[in-house]
Amino acid sequence: MDWKVLLVDLVLMPLVAFAVGLVMVLMLRKVNARIQRRIGPPFFQPLYDILKLFGKQTQISHGVIHDIAIVMLLGGFIASETLLPVPGMDGLAKQGDLLVLIYLLMVPTLGMALGVGQCANPNGSIGISRALTSMLAYDIPLMVVVVGVAWHYGTTSLPEIIALQQQAGVSGWGVTSMPLLAVAGIVSIHMMLGKEPFEVYVAPAEIATGPMVEISGKYLGGLFVTQCFQLYTAGVLFTTLFLGGGENWLSFLVKIFAVLFVPIAITVVFPRFKVEEGVAWGWKWPTTIGLVGLALVFF
Amino acid sequence: MSALDQLFLIAAVTAVVPMVIGNTRFGGWVMTLLYAGQAAVVFEMRAVSYGGETISATPNFVVLGQQIHWAYDALSWFFALTTVGSALFASWYASGEWGRRYREDGYNLRLFHTAMAANVFSMLVLLGSNDLLSVFMGWELVSWASFLLMAARGGAAIRPALRYVVYAMGGAMALMMGLAILYVETGSLQLGAIMAAAPGFSNGLVWLLAMSFGVGFGVKMGLVPFHLWQAPAYAETAAPGSCFFGAITARMGLFGIILILVKLVGVAHMAETGIPWVQFSARDLLAWVAALTIIIPTYTALRQHDARLLLMWHGVGQGGYMLLGLMVGSALGSAGGLLHIFNYATNQLILLMAVFAVIHRTGTADLNKLGGLLVRMPISFVVLLVGIIGLAGLPPMNGFVSKWMVYRALIADGSPLLFLAAIIGTLGTILSVYKLIHNIFLGQLRAEHEQIREVPWSMSIPMMLAAAVVFFTGYFPGVALDWVAAVQASVGLPVIAHTLGGVPLPNGGLNMIAVVSVLLFGFAVGAVIFFLLGGRSVRVHQLDNYAGGHFLTAATRYQYSNIFYPGLFRLLAPVYRNTFVWLEAGLVSVVDLASMGARGLCRSRHPAFYILLGFVLTLAWVIK
Repeated sequence: MDWKVLLVDLVLMPLVAFAVGLVMVLMLRKVNARIQRRIGPPFFQPLYDILKLFGKQTQISHGVIHDIAIVMLLGGFIASETLLPVPGMDGLAKQGDLLVLIYLLMVPTLGMALGVGQCANPNGSIGISRALTSMLAYDIPLMVVVVGVAWHYGTTSLPEIIALQQQAGVSGWGVTSMPLLAVAGIVSIHMMLGKEPFEVYVAPAEIATGPMVEISGKYLGGLFVTQCFQLYTAGVLFTTLFLGGGENWLSFLVKIFAVLFVPIAITVVFPRFKVEEGVAWGWKWPTTIGLVGLALVFF
Repeated sequence: MSALDQLFLIAAVTAVVPMVIGNTRFGGWVMTLLYAGQAAVVFEMRAVSYGGETISATPNFVVLGQQIHWAYDALSWFFALTTVGSALFASWYASGEWGRRYREDGYNLRLFHTAMAANVFSMLVLLGSNDLLSVFMGWELVSWASFLLMAARGGAAIRPALRYVVYAMGGAMALMMGLAILYVETGSLQLGAIMAAAPGFSNGLVWLLAMSFGVGFGVKMGLVPFHLWQAPAYAETAAPGSCFFGAITARMGLFGIILILVKLVGVAHMAETGIPWVQFSARDLLAWVAALTIIIPTYTALRQHDARLLLMWHGVGQGGYMLLGLMVGSALGSAGGLLHIFNYATNQLILLMAVFAVIHRTGTADLNKLGGLLVRMPISFVVLLVGIIGLAGLPPMNGFVSKWMVYRALIADGSPLLFLAAIIGTLGTILSVYKLIHNIFLGQLRAEHEQIREVPWSMSIPMMLAAAVVFFTGYFPGVALDWVAAVQASVGLPVIAHTLGGVPLPNGGLNMIAVVSVLLFGFAVGAVIFFLLGGRSVRVHQLDNYAGGHFLTAATRYQYSNIFYPGLFRLLAPVYRNTFVWLEAGLVSVVDLASMGARGLCRSRHPAFYILLGFVLTLAWVIK
């Protein structure tokens, strides 16, 4: 691979992810506002929020690991974005497959967990305990989806999965050839985002926003940036596996925003599950649907 | 004198020397030098792993007209490297302050060093086995040496050690049966001759061999349902011995399985033994045992609140990944399983060294009585962090590479359920190791630990060096994959095509150099964003914390530790039924009852008459 192309990809892919992610955060807040009959924030509000948080005068640190946590959060997502192909840019997607991507996405989670741990606030630790338990809820159906998709396409390489779908056209898209797995996929991706009804680990009224209890200023700003990456990754991952990826930037953006609209629309009208209810739900519905879909793919 | 002779000689010397100088101040350092000598000889033998000839040892004797002798091939070398490496680090760890404290506390340091060296020697002998008799001899040596090291600390270590002996004897019976079957079937003790005859084995025979050797060697590995003994026995051993046990000893069972079931019988042959109608083969049986071994011990580990037990239960579970990878039988899967032996050994070694460092300073392994030690023991924290990332199998550590290979092979093999079992184990591991690092190093520092210092260099240097191995063999997995490929060639498995960075596959491969580099690149960008942009941060005291309107003082226990995942346990409560503990207790009761019966017989008025009667009746039945 030409190193100049690679260098451009390494810089551009995370930047694009961040920019698109900002708009996705805006969409989340706009949809929420409209359902509550408010106007919602202006276009650049997410960016203003980040600038404000980074510009705050008081920045409270609870120790080295608290600082490093934010570095791990940002770094893990920046690295992950280079494994996620977008139209015209494959980045490092040929050097690490779908499984690598999924495990690389756990690095920011681990960083967050470590940083919150160092804050020495039990509300934060309870939040992490709940977040990791929730991970057990959504990762099992997600892995059912992964093994089904990988078997169906005969590959775990993301550029190849995209190419195979685009060659076959809409009838070859994952969503038409494996509809049950697509359902399980969108549900587990929704759970992965940690939005209602699966946001028991932030639960503001109960554990004082959980992991975020001791996080403010640019630490919270780092978390905000992470949220942009997270929404973007969720949309692109589903689009890559089930909607044939992006033929060009226009269709790509339409697809990822459409995908993200599903969890957002559900989120804004739901209360929250208790943690064990969330796990039970995750193992019951998306896992069952996924396993049926898996059986259809294999036989 | 061949290199193998030198290795055996120096290992034997290592076992004798501590009987004389084991209790002295420099005894530990001499031991470490001797292990370094063993490591140097192993390094000298490396050609065997790069296409060189098998290396034979000179000692030999003749039994039943057949020559018994020892030799090293790539498989033996791979295990020997891991064994001697683990022993070297563990001994270094014990050389300075740890050994001094152990002696001052009234324990027998001489016995400890001797037992540990005896373990290494017996394992090296087992690894050189070339025939059925030397396999059995080596096996028994390893078992009894293990018992010696387990029991060396006395006190609480004795009961689990005795429990191990009972299990080991049961395993040895099964092993003896398997060896006898092989000898009767082929008329030879030589592994080479048996291997030549193996393709002609009937399905029934292969099943019988898989069962007897699976039980015999599986006991040592802690395969379900023989998993109960291992964690308590290894956890109660003296610290460096515990590190050594955790890293490699249980893998001797896997060595046996590879030697007999993979090399002699062959995975492909086992896969052809499907029972009609259900298509369940001996290979499937072992693969599913491996899957259960991943899940059950991992979720047992999740419930532990003793750091040592937590890690040891994970050790049992990680063995499942190795066996599972091997039973896939493909180049990728078996390479993943084999690579995990080395990767896991390095991970477990540093995890246990870090945990024992904490015990050395605080005197406790209770996860509910620690917390916040990060600020007092930063080196141990970093080492433990590297270890948990490796054990959980996340990038960039080496544990990720081997687990990725096993997952990828299971997908390619079309085994979605086994794949999911492996994933469920990994997720449980992530939950459990976070609890480990959180409860020890994160959260609130307790008032009684305010004055604690980092462990001395004699303990922290081996920890850091081993942690560096974990990172670099994750960054450049090709180094260890070279050895693994040689092992595959020597046991007749398909050989993995690999590069320095990992496994290039047309349909989704792995290049760790790229993945780790981009991760480091991401961290660098993240660090620039975080540290250079925005205001400067102020460090605050741990009690300067949100507490819902209350003031915090040092007397306030502000740490979340007990039952770390309550939601999960409320959900899983009906699953934890202690079935295996109950089964073991039932078995013990049956044996108790039989022994009571026997005792009652001896106490009756005419025991001799009854014994004579029984003897005569048996004789009559036999003659008839």
